[in-house]
Amino acid sequence: MRRILLFFMLVLAAPLEAQQQDTSRIPTGVRLGMIYQPLKRPTLAVRPFSGEAERAALAEQVGEIVRRDLDYSDRFEIFETPPQLRTGPVEYATWNNLGVVYVVTGSLEPLENGHLLRLALHDVVYGTVRQIQAFALPEAGDENFRLAVHAAADEVVRWATGQPGMAASRIVFVRRGRDGGSELMVVDSDGENLRRIASGSRAMMSPVWSPDGSRIAYSVEQDDASWHLVERVLATGEVRTISSRAVISMTPAYSPDGRRLAFAVTGDRSNAEIYDYDVQQRCCLRLVRGGPGEDISPTYSPDGRRLAFMSDRLGQPHIYVMSAEGGEATLLSPYVYGEVGYYTSPDWSPESSLVAFHGRSRGGRFQLMIADAAKPGSTVQQITEEGTSEDPSWAPDGRHIVFKGVRSTGYGLYVIDTATGRTRPLVLGSDARVPDWSPALLRASALTVRGE
Amino acid sequence: MHKRIILPALIGALTLSACGKKAPEMAPAPQQDDSARLAEEEARRRAEEEARRREEEERRREEERRREEARRAAEIIAQMVHFDYDKYDIRPDAREILVTKVGVLRANPDVTLRIEGHADERGSDEYNLALGMRRANAVKDFLTGYGLDASRFEVRSLGEQRPLDPASNETAWAKNRRAEFHITGGQATRVQ
Repeated sequence: MRRILLFFMLVLAAPLEAQQQDTSRIPTGVRLGMIYQPLKRPTLAVRPFSGEAERAALAEQVGEIVRRDLDYSDRFEIFETPPQLRTGPVEYATWNNLGVVYVVTGSLEPLENGHLLRLALHDVVYGTVRQIQAFALPEAGDENFRLAVHAAADEVVRWATGQPGMAASRIVFVRRGRDGGSELMVVDSDGENLRRIASGSRAMMSPVWSPDGSRIAYSVEQDDASWHLVERVLATGEVRTISSRAVISMTPAYSPDGRRLAFAVTGDRSNAEIYDYDVQQRCCLRLVRGGPGEDISPTYSPDGRRLAFMSDRLGQPHIYVMSAEGGEATLLSPYVYGEVGYYTSPDWSPESSLVAFHGRSRGGRFQLMIADAAKPGSTVQQITEEGTSEDPSWAPDGRHIVFKGVRSTGYGLYVIDTATGRTRPLVLGSDARVPDWSPALLRASALTVRGE
Repeated sequence: MHKRIILPALIGALTLSACGKKAPEMAPAPQQDDSARLAEEEARRRAEEEARRREEEERRREEERRREEARRAAEIIAQMVHFDYDKYDIRPDAREILVTKVGVLRANPDVTLRIEGHADERGSDEYNLALGMRRANAVKDFLTGYGLDASRFEVRSLGEQRPLDPASNETAWAKNRRAEFHITGGQATRVQ
């Protein structure tokens, strides 16, 4: 009898559930852990690269760059090549006994105005060469030499996994200058080649790469303490002003097709509001989202149709998603009535519906979190636990994230792999902030050699 | 002019005759006039000097007083107000400071200000820029609420970019959550 009663109660309760559908779409939970279940990764060894005479030393360096890129891709267990297997033909049987799945070999050969890098991916299990290709590299002193090697390594990752690596990319960030001003810095994805591209006596903020990698947009403080939005062309150093009329123009974001730039504007009469602007035609400023509360930090979805952004119209800063044309917004970050949340700095993955941001965790410190914009209301994933972690920016592989953090190794910019959780320092220093990861700056297709 | 000679001369004569002694042979009237005249001139000179000195003293004191008042006025105008974490409400202690500022701003109608909002380093750089702006606007609204003209105030934010205290602790953070006031025009000379 009780069971029947219970059954009827459940049946009667069901329609009430349906009426409360809206609140079920508000996420309330945060779960600690990585995004994916890490699968067993294939074991891979990179043999020392070979080169004739004066090329031998360079070949060894190139081999080291490639080995580190494959390690940093976090898709392989890197295996140290034993001394007896370093040269000569690839002995598949021996490698197989060691449990190695892939062996990478490379050689550096002469080429007019540069070098020819011949890379081969050996499939140990099948006992054959899976893929072999020659890549044209510029001279060793060329400023894009390392980038070309990275592009070749990214191609090897694609041969083995189906997805290209993210080594041929860079990270832009702001660092405090020596006299209290600030510097705009760029570093390669492996932490090498740190360069200053701009400096000034005033503060700079929120740098972002254009989708073609040729420009960087950012906010810069003016003499009268207002903030203008500018765009710097990397090749020429030319700086164009995009927005200077409002008191503060900030947090720019390019649409993936490069046509529009969304950014926030605030003045003495209004709260921060999100506008977008036609960057190609240099016109057509349009209000996307206004109203009460501060709306800042827009970030586009990969198809450019939606924007995630931060708004504090609930009285506390939270992450929302809306159409890129504006309109109704859906909450992405966890909201628990009675608790004070603080979620900000969203960045939309270039490859999926995942939006990364940072928020105050249970421990009280800021940590990185990821929400799925395709499933609003689902549990948010917290992917860091140590120290503090802020200002996430996705790599072009949609898997790694660069962020500003504090770890046992100190303050600085770090890179985390969202699949395995592996974290490495990128640039150490307490004043590095607001990093942005570029798109892939060079693809292997640009390095093909005619006749190969 | 003659009167001036006669009177002292008479007094001199009376004085001499009242001495009781055998009056010394009096010098002829012109000499008597001279010494008296000299004495009188001396006294007058001293009196003028005294008056000048007092005037000087008075002027210096007045200048000092004015300088002090201007200094006090500038001090009141420059005094910062502070905020609670992640808030832009005007706290009771801030209210007191702002009300005093209103008085000085009323007494110096030419003075225009830039109000700069600041935040502590926690949270995101960008949200702190917006928060600083909101703090500056809250202060401006408070001041204009007392009838001061809005055109006298410019609002700005520097977010967390210019901390007063670069340390990462509660004391430093409390110092950094502030609004600063910078004079952009006019001179603060009076306190009321």
